[in-house]
Amino acid sequence: MSITNLLENWSDFRQQHPSDDRPHREYKWAMSIDLDACTGCNACSVACYAENNLPVVGKEKFLHGHSHHWIRIERYWANDGREFADQGAQFLPMLCQHCESAPCETVCPVGATNHTADGLNSQVYNRCVGSRYCNANCPYKARYFNWYDYPTTDNVWPEPMNQQLNPDVTVRGKGVMEKCTFCVQRLTVAKSNARSEGRSVLDGEVQTACQQVCPTGAISFGNLVDPLAKVGKQWMTQQVDLNKDKQAKDVAEEAAKLRGYRILEELRTYPSVMYLEQLREGSI
Amino acid sequence: MIENSFNRRDFLKVLGWGGATVALSGCGNTSVEDGREFVTSYVQTADYIIPSIGTYFNSTCAQCDAGCGIMGRVREGRVLKLEGNPKSPTSVGKMCGLGQAGVQAHYNPDRIREPLLRNGDKGEAITWEKALALINEKIGGVKAENIAFLTGGVSGHVKVLLKNYLDALGSGHHYVYEAVAPSIMRAANKKAYGVEMPRLRLDKAKVILSFGADFLGAWVSPVHFSQQYARFRKADNGKRGVLVQVESKMTLTGANADRWLAIRPGTEGILALGLINALSTAGLSVSGDVVAVVKEYTTDRVSKDTGVSAEHIAKLAALLKERSPSLIIAGSAAEGYAHGSQNAAAIALLNQVLGNVGKTVEGSSGIPFPQMAPTTGNRQALQALNDNMAQDKVKVLFSYGSNPVFTAPASMKLKENLKKVPFKVAFAHYMDETAVEADLVLPLNSALEDWGTVMPEYVADGAQLSIRQPLMEKLHPGTLGMGDILLALLKQRRPNEYKGYEDFYSYLRNAMVSNKGALGGADADDNTFWDAALSHGMVKLAGSPVNISSHVSVNGLVVPAPFAEDSAYPLHLIPAVSASLRDGRNANEPWLQESPDPLTTIVWDSWVEMHPKTAAKLGIVEGDIVEVASKSGAIKAQVYVFTGIHPDVISVPLGYGHEAMGRYAKGVGVNAFKILDPIFDKETGELAMHETRVKVSKAGQRVIIVKDEGPAGGQQMGRKIAVRMSSDKVNLSKEV
Repeated sequence: MSITNLLENWSDFRQQHPSDDRPHREYKWAMSIDLDACTGCNACSVACYAENNLPVVGKEKFLHGHSHHWIRIERYWANDGREFADQGAQFLPMLCQHCESAPCETVCPVGATNHTADGLNSQVYNRCVGSRYCNANCPYKARYFNWYDYPTTDNVWPEPMNQQLNPDVTVRGKGVMEKCTFCVQRLTVAKSNARSEGRSVLDGEVQTACQQVCPTGAISFGNLVDPLAKVGKQWMTQQVDLNKDKQAKDVAEEAAKLRGYRILEELRTYPSVMYLEQLREGSI
Repeated sequence: MIENSFNRRDFLKVLGWGGATVALSGCGNTSVEDGREFVTSYVQTADYIIPSIGTYFNSTCAQCDAGCGIMGRVREGRVLKLEGNPKSPTSVGKMCGLGQAGVQAHYNPDRIREPLLRNGDKGEAITWEKALALINEKIGGVKAENIAFLTGGVSGHVKVLLKNYLDALGSGHHYVYEAVAPSIMRAANKKAYGVEMPRLRLDKAKVILSFGADFLGAWVSPVHFSQQYARFRKADNGKRGVLVQVESKMTLTGANADRWLAIRPGTEGILALGLINALSTAGLSVSGDVVAVVKEYTTDRVSKDTGVSAEHIAKLAALLKERSPSLIIAGSAAEGYAHGSQNAAAIALLNQVLGNVGKTVEGSSGIPFPQMAPTTGNRQALQALNDNMAQDKVKVLFSYGSNPVFTAPASMKLKENLKKVPFKVAFAHYMDETAVEADLVLPLNSALEDWGTVMPEYVADGAQLSIRQPLMEKLHPGTLGMGDILLALLKQRRPNEYKGYEDFYSYLRNAMVSNKGALGGADADDNTFWDAALSHGMVKLAGSPVNISSHVSVNGLVVPAPFAEDSAYPLHLIPAVSASLRDGRNANEPWLQESPDPLTTIVWDSWVEMHPKTAAKLGIVEGDIVEVASKSGAIKAQVYVFTGIHPDVISVPLGYGHEAMGRYAKGVGVNAFKILDPIFDKETGELAMHETRVKVSKAGQRVIIVKDEGPAGGQQMGRKIAVRMSSDKVNLSKEV
C-alpha cells in the first residue's frame, strides 16, 4: 500500500466510519458542550475521577505531565494586548472526542484502540502494550498513560480509600493507555436494560458522569441515531454534520449565526463532540 | 435506578446497624470487634439488594454550608459515588466538585478512629465510656459559666440537642464561628431589606451587576446559583442575560462575565453611587434625597477614584436603565473592608433605585421551627471566646465544626490563649490544628455514615428540613455521630428525659414522627411518613412567606474616599476563597488538591496572583518565590502573573498551609489567614478580610509552577479551539 494509494483512496482505508450508504445502525453516541453555559467550575472533572477510578498522582508527577484527568478544563485568555482580561476567560472542557476517523486508532500496533459499532473510540486495556503511539498521534491530547502502577503506589488509594473504587470500571495497572470512554459502563447497563425490554435506549435514560454533575447543564449526551435525542437536534440546528469536514458555518456567509463547531475539524478526525461557541455581549 | 421506598430500618439492620453484623462479600467491612464474622449468602438477603446493581439513597451534602440534596450510589454495602438529588430544590440533580469529593472525606485514611486522650505530646486511645465519664468529671469540677462550646454553623436536631445540653449545664456560652461566612452581607441585607438572606432570582434578571460576589464559585449556594445562571444566560424567550462583574481580583464568576471591570480595592461603594448619579442624569426617576447625596459622584470623579473608565460607567448605566429588571449583588470582595457595610449599603441603594427589590430580590420563607433554624456565625464570636480564654474565664472548651487554630489570624494569638484552657475537647474528623491542641479528641462519623437534619441558610424554594442519613455501615467502629455524643452527654445531665432514646436515630425518628403533622405527614401513619421522609431526603415545611421591602436610607450613607497610598505596604492583599478549598476544612481530600484552580490552573500549592505591571515593577517573573509581608506576619509562595487582577492588588488563596490534618493537606502551600491584619468592619465588627496591606519582596528562589496550563500560557496560537462570538449574532430562541 503506497502512500499515494492511501491518500487517493482514503475513504476506503478509513476506520469503519459510517457514511450515507453505510450508516450507524442502532446507536451513535455523541455529545455537545455549550461553552456559553460552561463556567469552568471543574465539577465534571472531579465527577470523572469518582466514576472512572482515576488516580490522584500528586504534585511531582503532575509536574511531569502524568495527571489523569480524562476530562479537563482548558482555560484560554483573549486579551489582545489589553491591560486586563476584561471579557473573562474562555473555558473549554476537553475530553476524548471519540473521533469517527480517529488518528489514534490507525497507529495502534496491536489494535488496542478501535471503533465500536455504536461509535465509541474504545480502549482495550488488556490488549494495550504501551507503545503510546496513540498518545503521540492524538491532536487533542486526551489520552493518559499509566507510567506507574497506581493501585500499588503510596497514597493513591490507601486503605480505606480503595473502597470507593467503582467496581464497574477496571482499575488500570502500569503500562497501559487510558482515556474518556463516554462512561461506557453506564452505556452498557442502559443498552442491556433496553434490550431486555425490546427497545432502544431512550434519550435521557443514560447520562455520562460529567453531564450528570454539570451545574449549568452545559453538557448534552445521547444517541445521534435517535431522532428524538436532544443532542441530535442540537447538531442538526447547528448544521454540524458528523460525516463532513467542512460545516455550513465554515462555508456559507449566512450561516454565521450558528455557533456549533468541532475542534480541529480541518484535521478530518470527524469528532463526536460538538462545542457551542461562548458568547459575549457587545454593548458593554 | 431502584426506587428506594423500602423500609430503611431493615436495610440498616442488614448492614449491621441493628447489631448482627453481616459481612457482604467484597465490601471490605468485615471487621467486627469481637472477631466473629457472619457471612450471609445473597440467596437469603433482602430482595432490594441485587449484586452489582447500585441503589441510590438520598441524603444531604456536608461539604459546605449550602446543604444541597444528594443521593449516594450504594453497591454491596459501600457508597461509591454521589450525585445531586433531582428532587432537591437546591441541587436539582446537580453537584459541584467539592460535593463530589464527599466520598473522600468519608473514606479518608487520616480520619481519627477512636477517642484520644492527651498524654504529654501523644494521644492515647481510650474507650468512649472513659471519654464521656471524663467529660462528666471535668464539667462537674468547674462553674457553668466557665464552660464554653465553640461550633461552626449548626442547625436541625443537633442544634436542638446542643442547646438542651448547654441549658442542662447552665452555660449560655455557645460561640458560633464561621471563618469565611458572609456576615457583613447578612447585616447589610437585614438593614436594607429586613431579612438576612433574601432570595436572589438570577434567572429573572436581564442584567446582573455583581460587586465581587463569586456566586458561581464559592458564595452562599453555588450549585443553585449556577443553575439559575444557566437560565439567565439562555432564557426560554432566547434573551441572553448580561453579567458584569466588578472586583479587584478575578473570581470564577468574574471569568464568566461579559465585562470584567478591575476596580481599585475598596471603592465599590463609590462606583455604586456614581452609577445612581449617572442613571439619574440619564432620566431614571430617583428621589430627591438620593440625588442630593449622589450628585457629587460625577462620572469623571468616580472614574478617577475607582479606576473604572468613564466609558464603561456610561455603558453600564445605559445597560441598567435599558434592561429591567436587573440584579445588583454585593459580595465579600465589596464588603471586606472597614467600610464594608457602607459599600454594601450603597450597593443596596442601587438595587432599590433600579426597582429590583421584589422582582429579582425576593423575600425568604419563615421557618416554622425556629429552634432548628441555622445559627450563623461570625468572627466576633471567636474574638469573644478568645478574650475570655485570655482572661482565664474558660475552664472547659468544646470545639465542633470549626478549626480556629487554622483560620484565626496570628494577631489573635488564639493558639496561645487556647493553652490557658485546662480541658479542651475537640469533636473532629481529622487531627487538624485545633484537635492537635485538644486534651480529648472525640472522633466523629463521616457525613455519609451519620444521622442528622440540616436546615440550610439559603433554601431555593420555601422552607425545608433536609435529612442526612447513613449511606453505609460505619467504616470505623470507634467513631460516633455528633447527635449520639450529645445524647450521651445529655443522659449524664438529664437521665429521665433522655433515657428512653437508645441512640440519636431513635431520638431523631421520635422527634420527627411526633411532629409529623407539621412536617407534611398529617395523614400518613408513622412508618409511612418516616420512610417517605428518608426516601426523599427532606421534608418540606409550611413556612409563611416573608415579604421584603427596600428601605435603604441615604441618611448617614457615607462612602469613604479611596485608600491613601501606603509606601511601606504598597499592595492590598486579597485572601481568595476558592471553590474547592474554602476555609480549608476539605484540604485533605486529594481530588480537590489535584483539581486545578480554574483561573491559574495551579495544583497542590499556594500561589500569589500578580498583575504583569506590578510584576515588572518589582522585577518578578512567574515562579519567583516571594515573601508577602503584612504588619501581622509574612508568608512565602510562588508568583503567578496574569491579567485578572488589579495592579494594586495581590491575591493568595485560603485553605492551604495546614500544619496538621492529614497526608494530603499537611505542608501543602501556606496559610494566608495568618497574616491578616486585625482591622474590622466599623458597623458589624467583622474582620475586614480584604483590608490587609502587604509588601512583596523576592525571596531569591524560582520554581516551575505545577499547573495544568501549557507553556503557551492560555494563548491559542491562532488555532480555533475555544471560540467566542458576539451575542447579537445569534438567536438563542432558535436553539435546542
